[in-house]
Amino acid sequence: MAGLTLLTGCDLIEFSPNQTHSPAAYSDLTAKNLAALAARPVPAAAGDTLRIVFTGDSQRFYDEAEALVRSVNQQRGISMVLVAGDISDFGLGRELRWVHDKLKNLRVPYLTVVGNHDLVANGRKTYQEVFGPLDYSFTHARTRFIMLNTNSREYRFDGTVPRIGWLEQQLADTAGVRRQIVVTHVPSMSVDFDPRLEQPYVRALEQAPRVALSLSGHQHNFSIEEPYGNGITFINSYSFEQRRYVVLTLWGDKEFRLETVVF
Amino acid sequence: MSFPALLLLHLAAPAPSAPVPADTARPDRARWYVPTHLLAHTAGGQGLAAVGTGWTVSRDRLALEVLAGYLPKKFSITPVGVFTAKVTYAPWQLGLGGTPWHVRPLALGGFVSYSASRGISLSRGSKYEEGYYWWSSRTRVGAFVGGSAGRTFGLTKRGTARSATAYYELGTNDLYLVSWMTNKGGLPLRSILTLGFGVRLHIW
Repeated sequence: MAGLTLLTGCDLIEFSPNQTHSPAAYSDLTAKNLAALAARPVPAAAGDTLRIVFTGDSQRFYDEAEALVRSVNQQRGISMVLVAGDISDFGLGRELRWVHDKLKNLRVPYLTVVGNHDLVANGRKTYQEVFGPLDYSFTHARTRFIMLNTNSREYRFDGTVPRIGWLEQQLADTAGVRRQIVVTHVPSMSVDFDPRLEQPYVRALEQAPRVALSLSGHQHNFSIEEPYGNGITFINSYSFEQRRYVVLTLWGDKEFRLETVVF
Repeated sequence: MSFPALLLLHLAAPAPSAPVPADTARPDRARWYVPTHLLAHTAGGQGLAAVGTGWTVSRDRLALEVLAGYLPKKFSITPVGVFTAKVTYAPWQLGLGGTPWHVRPLALGGFVSYSASRGISLSRGSKYEEGYYWWSSRTRVGAFVGGSAGRTFGLTKRGTARSATAYYELGTNDLYLVSWMTNKGGLPLRSILTLGFGVRLHIW
């Protein structure tokens, strides 16, 4: 058994590209990044301002990932990088490790939400082993980030994804929270979002007390809109491929500013 | 499919309708469809453990093999059966000065594998429009370079050399290769390589 662990610890020895097992250095990355985030002091000088890099769809763009890391590392006052899903292209463990090999060089923690490509093949369990839960939330600088799996098509639109009940629970927990941000891969306007859950999703956001933004990826292009005319802003990220990301600065209850950075 | 069942399948393959001409030059040679050897294999994308059988021709330079491999649930959502067909060409065999040992320093090969597992979500099918994902999540195509070393242990009943040969395969698969080719240095070549090992037994 020790021999088996030794063998599986080395990427060269691979029983199947679909194997879900990941070496310790590439396991539980969400928990590790959250611990790193929690260890970072929220700068007092920043007041209530929070600056994050928002991007998505790193899938198979390794050259671009390297360039993105170099660029982000030159930014000042960034707390974290949010990657809006499709970390991998084929749902394979090695792809997640390759992306981590780039993003681990970031000076700030990065946090991911699962994308539809990450769920293909054995991707669900692979993502869970490498990163962690498909739905999770965390609070940083009084901002609650709710990372929600919205890849409904991968579940045949069976009504279980996204988990609206879980989302409502997270939105209801506002202790010490000034603003709430929902991060998804597939935006609710997409044909890949369960049409029966689109309105429940929008209503959950409307009824929540402090939702500032709904962020997504999947479309491989930046957009900002208020698609439901209810005061909730939806922002879609650039993909890595486009060699652009946005710096999202948040302050006050719902104030924000966006800067596009070309790298 | 278990290995004995796979072997039986080949042994029970119906004879071609045209009678096989007697091979007068090598009277002990089995009929063409009878496999020439067995093999046991690990890794290289062909399972945690795989067993197979195959045929060698052209004085063992060319081998065509089929394997049934297994990946337990520990490494997957549900256990995976990995079924592989591969072809290996090893042009040179070097004897080691009067010893029963021999080396094939170079082998080139390719394989196609199919991973059967309930948990492996299909990249094609009713969930998606045609072409939503362009690749298959269950079928892989790959290529490798390798080598082998082995020794003979006398002769089989047919008069051919009885031998055991250990081999390795350093390779990659279609999806890794695409990942490498669509980047300019962002992904080092070594990161897409896989290593597999096995033993071939010519025992009959």
